[in-house]
Amino acid sequence: MSEFQKERHFSRKRFVKAGGALIVGLSLGGPTASAGAKGVAGYQPPLGPYGPDVSQLDTWLAIHADNTVTLYTGIIPLGTGSITGVLQIAADELDVPFSAMRVVTADTSRTADQFVSSGSRAISSHGVPIRQAAAEARAFLVNLASTTLGLPVAELTVTDGVVSGGGKSTTYGQLLGDKLFNAQITGKAKAKTPADYKIVGTSVPRIDIPGKAAGTHTFVQNIRLPGMVHGRVVRPPASGATLLKVKGFKKAIPGAQIVRKGDWLGVVAPREYDAIQASLMVDAVWSDWSGLPPIASLEKAIREAPLYNPAEHPNDLRPGQAFPSSPISLNTGNVDAALAAAAKKLSITYTTPYHSHGSIGPSCGVAMWQGNQLTVWSASQTPYGTREAIAKFFGLPNNNVRLISVEGSGCYGQNGSDDATLDAAIMAQAVGKPVRVQYMRWDEFGWENYKSARVFDMNGGIDANGRVVAWKSESWGFTGYGRPEFHEPAHGGEPGSLISAQLTGWSGAEVEEGQGGGAPTPGNYSVPNAWSKFNYLGAPSPRRGALRIKTGSMRTVNGYDNTFASESLFDELAALAGIDAVQFRLNHMTNPRTIAALRAAADTAGWQYRPSPNPNRQGRVLSGRGVSVSGTVASVFEVTVDTKTGKITVPRITTAIDAGQHVNPDMIASQVEGAVTQGISRVIREQVTWNASGITSRDWVTYPILRMTDTPRAINVVLLPHQDLPSSGVGEPPQNGVGAGVANAVFDATAVRMRSTPLSPPRVRAMLKAAGVA
Amino acid sequence: LEVSLASKLKIKVNGLVHSVTASLDTPLLYVLHNELRLHGPRFGCGLAQCGACSVLLDGKEIRSCVTPVAAVSGKAITTLEGLPAMWSSSRGTTAASPAALHPLQQAWIDEQVFQCGYCQNGMIIQAADLLTTVKRPTEDQIRTALNGHLCRCGTNIRIIRAVQRAAAVMTKGGK
Repeated sequence: MSEFQKERHFSRKRFVKAGGALIVGLSLGGPTASAGAKGVAGYQPPLGPYGPDVSQLDTWLAIHADNTVTLYTGIIPLGTGSITGVLQIAADELDVPFSAMRVVTADTSRTADQFVSSGSRAISSHGVPIRQAAAEARAFLVNLASTTLGLPVAELTVTDGVVSGGGKSTTYGQLLGDKLFNAQITGKAKAKTPADYKIVGTSVPRIDIPGKAAGTHTFVQNIRLPGMVHGRVVRPPASGATLLKVKGFKKAIPGAQIVRKGDWLGVVAPREYDAIQASLMVDAVWSDWSGLPPIASLEKAIREAPLYNPAEHPNDLRPGQAFPSSPISLNTGNVDAALAAAAKKLSITYTTPYHSHGSIGPSCGVAMWQGNQLTVWSASQTPYGTREAIAKFFGLPNNNVRLISVEGSGCYGQNGSDDATLDAAIMAQAVGKPVRVQYMRWDEFGWENYKSARVFDMNGGIDANGRVVAWKSESWGFTGYGRPEFHEPAHGGEPGSLISAQLTGWSGAEVEEGQGGGAPTPGNYSVPNAWSKFNYLGAPSPRRGALRIKTGSMRTVNGYDNTFASESLFDELAALAGIDAVQFRLNHMTNPRTIAALRAAADTAGWQYRPSPNPNRQGRVLSGRGVSVSGTVASVFEVTVDTKTGKITVPRITTAIDAGQHVNPDMIASQVEGAVTQGISRVIREQVTWNASGITSRDWVTYPILRMTDTPRAINVVLLPHQDLPSSGVGEPPQNGVGAGVANAVFDATAVRMRSTPLSPPRVRAMLKAAGVA
Repeated sequence: LEVSLASKLKIKVNGLVHSVTASLDTPLLYVLHNELRLHGPRFGCGLAQCGACSVLLDGKEIRSCVTPVAAVSGKAITTLEGLPAMWSSSRGTTAASPAALHPLQQAWIDEQVFQCGYCQNGMIIQAADLLTTVKRPTEDQIRTALNGHLCRCGTNIRIIRAVQRAAAVMTKGGK
């Protein structure tokens, strides 16, 4: 393992001996000075601890005199295009052209708390109240027009924001331009029927893209404030090390200051490059720590890790929330008896490694104190939860902290954004100036909320006719969450889940919301005897837990891992039965939407129905195809395997997806392409590595991801919309099956099962060699 | 004693000469972002590994995160923001006309390439470098040229399509 690059480049600068290093302590206080946000229509809704009242129409929408409309949404822009999607939904309900729509995204001083922008829910879940608000607004405006025009509502029509009837007309802007609705959302206004959609279901170009092309788009990394200085964090050299002493700087850096709170250490300097230098020149003494197990014994360490005990974490749940009463999430029939009676059976262990989110832009937060009022600019996915966590950290009421969402580099789950926001707030308070903190590459990769490694013991049995009669899964893993936020319907956040807070010595509650998202199931397949148990190992971090690697939610949470196990097992059972992998799946399916997706993927890919492995396995480079299904997404993967080098190439993928109502077909296609491409990267490249003291995969050499030359030649996306059904998510589901689908294709090509990822060349070569193929 | 004293420097960015104050070894990226307030080149790794910070130096792609500002004196830097003017001037039209985007930027819009877009600066800059030397690159030439740039959203396929689209437009001399 090559060492990640840090010192080589950044330590080349030479400095004079330190003058007096300024160490700034932390203190609260100062005069109050803060102005609330002004809405586009000049309206500042009254704010509760979780933002404006969601039952008020004015919380969601403002009609302007020029007949434009502003939508206020608590969703944050993640780079998925979902802001454009919800604008389509609102425009369609309002009967205004898409071009009339403006948007304000999450800002705790103005927008509704729409909880967390994650889980592929922007359209499917968060779009629902937006559609209702827009329907209510339209009804309100038509009623107003009825009075103004002296015509019954039934005689009025709306086109492009113009209300017409009886030869007369008025516009939304004339009716309510820059005035308040002053109306409750009644829930009575009826949304359109899908047959009447004009904008939903069309590929409206994304609103953020022109600015991104021109270079005028503002990422949170681009936020600048008057008098702002630059901060960098100084993370411990070993994950569990404590900070014994800070002596100052080894060399002088103009204007640099050190900020310390417990084991949390940071530096601030007027110039960004000086802040970077300062972070490397802090003369600090840390304790030794070397508590991580060898990577080679990870599976053993996970199996032996103690289970999470809710009794030890009494503050981790909110009233009304509960952990599952049993780790056994599925128990139908009698799985052990069915396994014993099965004609053929398999008992297999699958493992997946830790993964990094791998945002291209390291996380960034910007903070400004005005007295005891704090404003932060953040790419957090949980604007209200993170706001509350920060407020709690500083002992302030929620409304003393305002979080303004600004798009960051794509996060794919909880990257370092929440922590960087808190870091900036700590530094800004200490130095009395606005501070922008961006992580260095090694900070982001080294102190992540990694996707947990998982271990799966899978058993399956088939009868003499090739039907699966028994399916059994026992799995182990750490949390799938770790956000400073409770999911809906609960509100609120805790700093305890943030590593930055933990380093300061914060010992309050962490946030848990279940047991890491659960275990594999047979999913789409009818299996009479099925049993699944998940051994939940809690939420570790570098500062606590049995295996001190912090875990959190990454795209699909555990869907990628669970589907790797479940769809690999099903594929192995198909091969055991000697039945084609697609046909075998169809034989066990009942959901017509899933069946349609699988058939569409197979037909489009030109699937040749035959059992795996490929009977033609001659030569150095072998080729094969594999399939996987997850929810209403089915994919076919075509691979080649160089048996000499172990290199896997995935030239062509076909994915069929039924996401219910498709709001923007091209954005769905884009999400599928991205999810699949990233999924390929995860299965053939990615693995977090460490030594006894900490994470070692801390740059793009030590944490390699898919490159352009290894990109699939074609990703064929087949859309199977049902416009009359609710939307379901599209960002994550297409990624669930990628690991299994690729591994199944490699089996088809080589007759060797790949049960442990990543399928990187040396590992594949070793697995092929062990099986006598290479 | 040696100090990282800030120096007054002149650098030429997007056709204009700017006076900036920075120590000579400050990587160009921080000057472009913090002094010139440009949003195109972005910090990704600081190690020349990802390409988010790319700019053109006399038409060739470089990594501004590892290029000392002193090394660019007397040379012309073009950032994402400067591509429209570069395209105009390459066709002999005035750079001042409010900017038809560079065909690459337009192709990135037409193909709806961006997801988060953080890396795309580098992709576009590298493609601009490529298309000055290879007018109609093959798909493999595009893949190879862009292989030193990382995209995490997985927009790779659309990036390739966008370069092909732009190349077609540019060989016809624009739209």
